[in-house]
Amino acid sequence: MNQQGENAYSDSEQRTQEKRQLLETLKTPVIQLGRDMGYEIIENHDLGAGPVHVVWLFKPGSESLPDMRLGFICLTEFSNSSINEGIARAMLNLIDKLVFVVTTETMTKQVKDAIESMPDRSILQLRKYVTVLTPSTLVSKQGIKGARERRSSQTGGEVI
Amino acid sequence: MNLERLIEAGEEKGFEVEQDADYGAGPIDVVWNINVHPALPNIKFGFIVLGGEEEGGSKDTEDNQLSIRKIEEATFRGLRSGLDKVYLVTENEEMEKSVSGKIEWLASHGSLIRLDAISLGLYPEQQESSVIIPSQQRVPEGEKIRKEKEREREEKFDKHNRPQGERRENGKGIKV
Repeated sequence: MNQQGENAYSDSEQRTQEKRQLLETLKTPVIQLGRDMGYEIIENHDLGAGPVHVVWLFKPGSESLPDMRLGFICLTEFSNSSINEGIARAMLNLIDKLVFVVTTETMTKQVKDAIESMPDRSILQLRKYVTVLTPSTLVSKQGIKGARERRSSQTGGEVI
Repeated sequence: MNLERLIEAGEEKGFEVEQDADYGAGPIDVVWNINVHPALPNIKFGFIVLGGEEEGGSKDTEDNQLSIRKIEEATFRGLRSGLDKVYLVTENEEMEKSVSGKIEWLASHGSLIRLDAISLGLYPEQQESSVIIPSQQRVPEGEKIRKEKEREREEKFDKHNRPQGERRENGKGIKV
């Protein structure tokens, strides 16, 4: 019985260790890319609601404009409770936009579907607030123009 | 936890009551569907029981405190489920006070969402209001007057009883 208890303890310890390592693996490219793009980086940003793993702090360059905080929360497994908790932490820690960083493309779809399947009458429009991606998507899409940017350049949008 | 009271109260008021509902974001223990007017959409009140299951090796209700993590998760479960109000049901009054206090504190950071406007702690036997009243409203007017009089009396006492060199001036400490 005692032996069983010890085994269970070491198993859970090992799982925690693996989870921590996976979290670091997910965080590293986000931090690196943020630094390369010249943003101020905050690791484990927490105003009391729980940690947001990485924050890119964007300063618009004018004192009269507020800073923008793009928050990244890494999810190592899919569950509705971890999504609920992540959104709560981001909103209550004054994050302007949230990015869920997940491990696989399959998980990207699961999380996206969960967020978009909210009832129509809900007071929150979470798909406007949350983006879901894997670290490889984030790095590989660097430098590619978004649809809106493409459209504005095609229609001769004004560059100020 | 016995939620019969909540279910009965909802039914007595003529609301449509759902038990163990799940709209895709996790379980909601009780939902009151309130039809205020045929021309208006229903209002949904959700009740979620905050349990004290094992967390990190110890029960987090031992000292009548529930973790911020649980409060956040349950509130956003309700919001993602399309509820208009989310009531967090606790075992006893002390826990209810702790939960409502934490909600107020989380709301005080001034985030995008006013957590205290959508959620609140409750306990099953609750009769009185669970809304936390700010101290400015809680302390009656008379109390302030009494405090002012006490201060005046203390000042008079200081003036006549302290040696001249140690008199307090305008509450700014001792003049040397």
